[in-house]
Amino acid sequence: MENAIPQRIFDSMQQYPPFSLMKDPDLMRIAERIRIRFVAKDQWVFQAKDAVQKQIYFVQEGAIHLLQQQQDPAQLVEACDQGEIFGLGPLVDSPHYQLGAKAEEDSLVYIIPQAILQPIIEKQPKVAWYFAQSFAAGKYAVPSSLGPPTLFWQEQQRQQQAFELLEIQSIDHSRKPVSCLPGTSIQAAAQIMRTQSVGSIIITNEAENPVGIITDRDLRNKVVSGDHPLSDSVDLIMSKPVITVKPDVTIAEVQMFMMKHRIHHLVITQTGRSDSLVLGVISEHDLLVIQGNNPAVLIREISRSKDGEELGRIRGKAEGLLRKYLYQEVAIGFISSIMTQINDAIIERAILLALKEMDEEGKKDPGVKWCWLALGSEGREEQLLRTDQDNALVFEDVDLERQEEVKAYFLQLAKKVTRFLYACGFEYCPGDMMASNPQWCLPLDAWKKQFSGWIFAPSQQHVLYSNIFFDFRPIYGAFELAEELSDHIFKATGERDIFLSFMAKNALQTPAPLTFFRQFMVERSGEHKDQFDIKSRAMMPLADAARVLILAAQVPQINNTFRRFDKLAELEPQNRALFEQAADAYEILVRYRALQGLKNQTSGRYFKPSELSKMERLNLRNSFKPLRELQDLLTVRFRLNFLI
Amino acid sequence: MAWRDLFKSAGPPAPEWAAYLEHFKSPLPRTSSLEDINFVVLDLETTGLNTRKDHMLSLGAVQVKNFEIQIERRMEYFVLQRDYSPNQSIGIHGIMPEQTATGIGEVELMQKLLSFLGSAVIVGHHIGFDVAILNKAIKRIYGKNLKNKVIDTVDLVKRWDRLGSTAPHRDLSLDAVCQRWKLPLHERHTAAGDTLLTAMLFLKLLGNLQKRGVNTLGALLRN
Repeated sequence: MENAIPQRIFDSMQQYPPFSLMKDPDLMRIAERIRIRFVAKDQWVFQAKDAVQKQIYFVQEGAIHLLQQQQDPAQLVEACDQGEIFGLGPLVDSPHYQLGAKAEEDSLVYIIPQAILQPIIEKQPKVAWYFAQSFAAGKYAVPSSLGPPTLFWQEQQRQQQAFELLEIQSIDHSRKPVSCLPGTSIQAAAQIMRTQSVGSIIITNEAENPVGIITDRDLRNKVVSGDHPLSDSVDLIMSKPVITVKPDVTIAEVQMFMMKHRIHHLVITQTGRSDSLVLGVISEHDLLVIQGNNPAVLIREISRSKDGEELGRIRGKAEGLLRKYLYQEVAIGFISSIMTQINDAIIERAILLALKEMDEEGKKDPGVKWCWLALGSEGREEQLLRTDQDNALVFEDVDLERQEEVKAYFLQLAKKVTRFLYACGFEYCPGDMMASNPQWCLPLDAWKKQFSGWIFAPSQQHVLYSNIFFDFRPIYGAFELAEELSDHIFKATGERDIFLSFMAKNALQTPAPLTFFRQFMVERSGEHKDQFDIKSRAMMPLADAARVLILAAQVPQINNTFRRFDKLAELEPQNRALFEQAADAYEILVRYRALQGLKNQTSGRYFKPSELSKMERLNLRNSFKPLRELQDLLTVRFRLNFLI
Repeated sequence: MAWRDLFKSAGPPAPEWAAYLEHFKSPLPRTSSLEDINFVVLDLETTGLNTRKDHMLSLGAVQVKNFEIQIERRMEYFVLQRDYSPNQSIGIHGIMPEQTATGIGEVELMQKLLSFLGSAVIVGHHIGFDVAILNKAIKRIYGKNLKNKVIDTVDLVKRWDRLGSTAPHRDLSLDAVCQRWKLPLHERHTAAGDTLLTAMLFLKLLGNLQKRGVNTLGALLRN
């Protein structure tokens, strides 16, 4: 007998997960056993409390709504359209269906017998993961055997793989340690380095614990220069203390350490502490070899660059790195740290170049403390692509008679900085939220008054300002000024509950971005007609929610949206799942925006939903789910129903 | 009377035919609920459209029961036709001589078909033609015609159009009907493809007619 009929069933399922994850013969076995049912509009496939059937369902065509039937009228929990599965109760031995399934339109539904599916799930972890995530999304109890629930199984799976790969590489590249004792002469140490042909030597004590390190650079700078004779012992010129890491360190972590400490070598010890056995050393060069590219190198180039164009060129290279990270599905937390450090270095360089120009033009430094603040997405450490620059400047309070002169200096400085950043590719802020605007270049006391004004009279405009300014992050200068501002905000919002309610209300202004939970809500008119605005429809509502919740929780120092959610998850165990999903969702959105931006050479803010693959659409749609729940939570917590 | 018929009536009927007849001992009550009826959706590809001259090249059939297409219960065969040379109909069904050469003989196929059908109600699009082709073979082998009740989806479509307020559609080809009923038309014109498509169409018609009070076999057969 031919098998053309099951082959058609096979074809119609194979593009959709979890079937896309199955081996062909497994899916064929399923296709041969499918039953196809037609469910007319408004008919039930099953109702809540019905005994669970030993089968699950796949929407081949049409739309099925899963409804919470306890309430009257029944409440929509989930909408399944073409390619989605539902009725998973039998997989977790649930005796009754928790939700009813009703056809929203005439639908063709495939029925898959559990008996044929179960063995496939059991032998294919990927398929199991997919079901686990479906349970998480569909509010079923999650069987512990399937692992933690996650909305975005595919990303995480691949991320893990990427890291495993990196870990293996880092271990491969950690060499056998070349070491000597502290009393060794510089000459003897240099000899060892040459015979072993290594660029560094670790100085260890008797217990083989690391106490210092000497590199080629130390020999050049301290010995060849004549500062130390060759007969001196190594401990006189060694760098100490050494930064130590554990053997299972990932490349990502190595990179972070090197950038953070501005060093080029890390020592691997048994426990990761310095009072433990030396196992090896990782140099920046090793990293370069492994990766072929290195953000630390870019940062060094940035610190040497001479103008905005050069900065722009380096930022372009950073985008190449970003692309690589995104395609390798490296964790967004890591990617955004790297890109933030690069952006910060660029801003810092722009400031230094501007200061130099000011000096050359004979503009006299007023000699007061000041601090450059990044606002908005750069403030939140989420600016992966070059989007608008948002910044502000705060300076120390000065006598009234000096204020004008001091402010004029900083305004000029800020104008130069923003010009450098513009030349680097960061567009001017269309709302002119830049330090070069007299409104946003103020002494500390004026900033406090401004913030208090917003908090005590929360008009629409003031809330919008707060959303941008309250995410500020100090980049250069006297950070204590920024800390004082931050303290002020927490104190003032703590005294004025109503302000947070207004902020929360603002976070609800954008409804969940799906129309009828099926189509992406696209822009109806204007330049971006029929495109999806991922920033204002999906990301801002999440970022706004995170901000108001973290302000309410009085947690300072965390600007990043997904780290805010992580912190909230820690603070409120009862809402942990929701906050973790929100953090995941935000990461997904950041990733998609960056990918779309790189693909279309835009800011990534607008794209056509039709250009996404089915998988991408599903993942994006999943990322909208926590938003709806978060908005409910805000409504209840900030009593927004009473707020007119 | 031809001598062959004389010969046939003289011998005992083939066992598969006797078994087939068993299913019709007690006729299907017209009051049977549609859930309980065994439907077999069937489609043939043939060498042409002349029931007297042309032959079947492939057969696809699938069971519909309890308002569900039961993929597990299906038949899909190419039919061995030794003297088949592709004519213009190959442009429609695309069946190559190599494929029919791998098929099974008509006699064996009809044996299988009888046991697959039982007393099921045969369903198809312009099914009269398919049944005529089948009966030509059945008659040649068993000297009789199929006894199954037959439902043409074309009739059901017409009936639905009558029930609705819309003007009846002229184009009743499977393509046109499926387009109207929003069924996917990929890769049609193989017996298997058309069978599945017809079965889906039948499900949709059945579901909609049921909503209009067509609940029994009698009601469905009444036209």
